[in-house]
Amino acid sequence: MMITALLLIVQVAAQDPRLERLDPATRSLVVSVVDSAKAVGLPGEPLIQRALEGATKGALGPRIVTAVRRLATDLGTARAALGAGVTTPELEAGAAALRAGAGPDVLTHLRDARRPPLTMALAVLADLVASGVPADSASAVVLALAPSARDADLVEFRRAVERDISLGAPPGAAAAVRAANTGIRLGADAGNPPRPASRQ
Amino acid sequence: MNQPLGIDKVEASDAELVRRVRTGDIRAYGTLVARYRDRLGRYAVHMLGDREDAEEALQDSFVRAYRSLERCDDPARFGAWLYGILVNRCRTTGARAARRRRMFVRDADALNGATHADQADRVEWSDTVNRALARLAPEYREAFLLKHVEDLEYEEMGRLTGAGVSALKMRVKRAREQLQRFLKEAEHV
Amino acid sequence: MFDRDDGALDRVIRQLRQPVSIDPALDARVMEEIAADAAPGRLATPRPRFPLRGARWPWLAAAAVLGAILIARPWSAGGDTDALNAFQFVLVAPQASSVSLVGDFNDWDPARSPMQTAQGIWATTVPLPPGRYRYAFLVNGVEWRADPGAPRAGDDEFGTPSSVITVGGKGS
Repeated sequence: MMITALLLIVQVAAQDPRLERLDPATRSLVVSVVDSAKAVGLPGEPLIQRALEGATKGALGPRIVTAVRRLATDLGTARAALGAGVTTPELEAGAAALRAGAGPDVLTHLRDARRPPLTMALAVLADLVASGVPADSASAVVLALAPSARDADLVEFRRAVERDISLGAPPGAAAAVRAANTGIRLGADAGNPPRPASRQ
Repeated sequence: MNQPLGIDKVEASDAELVRRVRTGDIRAYGTLVARYRDRLGRYAVHMLGDREDAEEALQDSFVRAYRSLERCDDPARFGAWLYGILVNRCRTTGARAARRRRMFVRDADALNGATHADQADRVEWSDTVNRALARLAPEYREAFLLKHVEDLEYEEMGRLTGAGVSALKMRVKRAREQLQRFLKEAEHV
Repeated sequence: MFDRDDGALDRVIRQLRQPVSIDPALDARVMEEIAADAAPGRLATPRPRFPLRGARWPWLAAAAVLGAILIARPWSAGGDTDALNAFQFVLVAPQASSVSLVGDFNDWDPARSPMQTAQGIWATTVPLPPGRYRYAFLVNGVEWRADPGAPRAGDDEFGTPSSVITVGGKGS
């Protein structure tokens, strides 16, 4: 039954007409990555979209395959960190946060600290780092805000930091000042998120 | 015993219900919820020690399971898959509750309402058990409940918790030792 | 040999195995939350995005806002928007002859979301379910531009800029 299921998954990915935009060799490799990911319960759609992005942007086949493989790895790491029941949007945002430099333990701590959905919190973390805030500072502030901030508050925090950066503030300082406004201090232990109740 | 004639009403299997939900029949999900509510609720109540927290974790788990139903690889084992989601949710809720320093509240109302000595005894015993359970570290409590109350095999526990079998066996052993100690202490109070 | 400790533990286990009854009203709460996912018109408030934050030309910013309002018709995007949030994407590109919005929500297909222009302000509206989407503008069919009003995608995998939009709400 498992083999039948796997074969069905292979058929689905191989028949996706959107992937015909890739050359045959690249298509075959991408299909293989997508199928392997789906076989372990990861979503295939983000991987297909990454391949399509590469195709539209005229990227060479090997670069597309590398990008798809990298995303598949990140999705797997995000799933391991976030646990069962995680949704595809949460996985995508988690993968983005990992790619931005947050460690898997940060994702796990976030899962422990905040009611789902975690999508926006993870997205804000990824976006802060993408705008130049050091990963450990961004992780610390998002984890500190996580237990009580609404999604809208997190988004507003990110916008405020980005505004300050666009006006010339160093990214780390911008995050620290905005964090201080919310009563959070990013100090020497900024890289160490608060540990939840002992797990091991 | 005379059986009525006619077709026996056979309950739809989990796999069948999941199939129906996937084709858009939301009501089929209601049947799954009703089927697993009390069974999973028992684990959540004992793990979290608070009925409100347990119901919140349970509700969250059912909703998350619905939203990620496409990720349930084996619909025939929907219950086990749902269990995994609940175990994780209880960890999250438990961690938050620990930070709020929640304690098991003595079931004073039940005690005051007991009209017979044996009823009062039962409430006292239930109280003792709950207190002892609450004193266990979360990972020990989790392992103990999954093994001895939910009757899972270690391999299944490993799949749900992500921990290795030998680590789980150690946790169950520690939990038993500590519970025995707590119960002894309670006797001497 | 009788082990008194094990006896006490057995009592504990028997106690814990007692059935626990959860309020059946929980079923209704779960179904209500799930039904809200599927109901049309949920989260119908659009989240207009004004990309000219920090723009150097206030008059252009005002024109962009006016243009966006004139161009965009969020509620006429078709039946697909019923259950989704409609998002407006705007790019100021007075010199462009064509601008397409491409991203994870339209298979990166430039033909799917061509943008309309009024006085150099290009706009389009796209219905989006909860999720995180990479996207960019393709100007004149050759030039890739990120959205100046949105977070940048951290990983420009293919050497061209992209932006991200994250849509929250139920189902995310």
